[in-house]
Amino acid sequence: MDMEVWRLRISATQRGKLISAGYTSLSSLSSVSPSDLARDLQISENDASEILKAASHCGRLDNSDQSHAIVTGAQTAWDMLHEEDLSRRITTSCADLDNILGGGINCKEVTEIGGVPGIGKTQFGIQLAVNVQIPVDFGGLGGKAIYIDTEGSFMVERALQIAESCVEDMLEYQEFVRKKFQACQVQMQPKDFLKNIFYFRVCSYTEQIAVINYLEKFISEHKDVKVVIVDSVTFHFRQDFDDMALRTRLLSGLALKLMKLAKNCSLAVVLLNQVTTKYSDGSFHLTLALGDSWSHACTNRVILYWNGNERYAYIDKSPSLRSASAPYSVTGKGIRGSASNSKRIKMT
Amino acid sequence: MNPESLLRSPLPTPKLTAGCPVLDRLLGGGVPCSSVTELVSESSCGKTQLCLQLLLSAQLPSSLGGLSASSLYLHSELPFPLRRLRQLSHSFQSSHPQIFSSHNPCDGILVQPINSADHLFDVLLKTDFALANPKTRFPIKLIVIDSIAALFRSEFDNNPSDLKRRSDLFFRISGKLKALAYRFGLAVVVTNQVVDFVGTGDGLNGARIGNLGCLYSSGRRVCPALGISWANCVNSRLFLSRSEEIVGKENGLVDVGGDNFVQRRTKRQLHVVFAPHLPESSCEFVIVREGVFGVEK
Repeated sequence: MDMEVWRLRISATQRGKLISAGYTSLSSLSSVSPSDLARDLQISENDASEILKAASHCGRLDNSDQSHAIVTGAQTAWDMLHEEDLSRRITTSCADLDNILGGGINCKEVTEIGGVPGIGKTQFGIQLAVNVQIPVDFGGLGGKAIYIDTEGSFMVERALQIAESCVEDMLEYQEFVRKKFQACQVQMQPKDFLKNIFYFRVCSYTEQIAVINYLEKFISEHKDVKVVIVDSVTFHFRQDFDDMALRTRLLSGLALKLMKLAKNCSLAVVLLNQVTTKYSDGSFHLTLALGDSWSHACTNRVILYWNGNERYAYIDKSPSLRSASAPYSVTGKGIRGSASNSKRIKMT
Repeated sequence: MNPESLLRSPLPTPKLTAGCPVLDRLLGGGVPCSSVTELVSESSCGKTQLCLQLLLSAQLPSSLGGLSASSLYLHSELPFPLRRLRQLSHSFQSSHPQIFSSHNPCDGILVQPINSADHLFDVLLKTDFALANPKTRFPIKLIVIDSIAALFRSEFDNNPSDLKRRSDLFFRISGKLKALAYRFGLAVVVTNQVVDFVGTGDGLNGARIGNLGCLYSSGRRVCPALGISWANCVNSRLFLSRSEEIVGKENGLVDVGGDNFVQRRTKRQLHVVFAPHLPESSCEFVIVREGVFGVEK
């Protein structure tokens, strides 16, 4: 698996450059654009696209060799498991929540986070948009974020505040590991975090659908996008819908698109949802909005709620995680572990 | 279709001063533009007072925390508090003599009574046009709706179909307000009433929203009117409360058997219930002849 680039039919110098730039596997070349590769290897863009052509050719040969692949592109569960082990997760900055989520928000999946107003949905959105950018050396993804704001709750000053705390935490971490190796260097400034959040403000459901249709193209031009956050998916779908069947169709179309995007571009999709009251069994309950059919649309569902004076997150639905809840708090620095648990410092 | 660059957006978000440094500190600089801020309280807590002060403050230049702008006041609770506005504008004028030497601050306040929720929606559609083609001396940068609750509390029944129609209207109005706020960089302030809290605490009425476990005003437990669907429609919620407080001892008056010597005063507080950019916090304020002012702790 590791040094697949040896099999590429390219010159030895280019191979050397590839390896020293960290492109050792074919999969690492599958999602990079010629211009990025040219920059990383300091070669001309033409040479870069030649390399990519060779890589994709080699990849195709590989696939045809695999007798178990019934349909081109099909994968065995074993391969998928292997891939999942490799895929990184976006930390929520709350250790307890990361634990029950199996390490954080997973790429290739659609995760829905819902809760009452003021519970911290937008805070989660901003935190994830920042955390996805934590460099690989620091255990992050080193990716970029797309933030689709339907409610106007995204505040730049808050994003900057959370980014500042994130940089502080990285510096602290650097201090901690310095004895071991010098490689980690915090080079990101809080402002750089803002630069890497692609912010779309949408003011109607038609705009929302249009943006989501456009995402595929946008992400093909910005391959380092690792998370798409929609805050909230609900707002514009709670007005002007007399025809509920139409709403359901539009929403499930939207969910399918996002799921495909998550899978194909191996990025995390996070949808924030509101709560509403539902009338059943003669009384009103609180439940996540958009109805029963929508609850099938997301891979994971996390519900945020108040427990006394503490905020809790509860995994309501997930194909791989068991139901569990974890306390968290919203602080000046962003999402953090619960205040009452703060004495436990996680050092890993 | 291009994303906005967050680097190019002004930092911090432009804010409209509340007219007092203590209140501004609580609000992180004032009422944010491109956002909907809700003021919740029972009657006579100072919602309208604060709104009038904002209408005046909006006309200040940005160096003084204003927006150099006119404002639109949509009121559903009659009558329009004209006398109080005049009183405030006089003191406002005298504290900023150089700015208001040639014109009266009341000139920059447009007032429109609203009769029903549908009427409000129609007015907002027209406002769209007025904002795009400004006729006033300064562009409108502040819309105040005082109050949203009055429009909804009479017209709708407590049955599923009416509730559905009601929340549909909430989201339409809020969607329109937010779109206007975003397109024109408006500060939008909406006031809301409270209802008494009835129930045991785990009921729907008691579903906790925001930082404060429960809201108390005048010694009663209250919750904001219009329920949870409206709560989803605003970006920030501020709660104004009042309570009677015995201050006799602080003033040196000793309570000598009998209530005659006990001095009472109204203690007013402003709380951040939820806001995307503000931590949980609160401060005390007073209402005096010159306006609403925060009290330093």
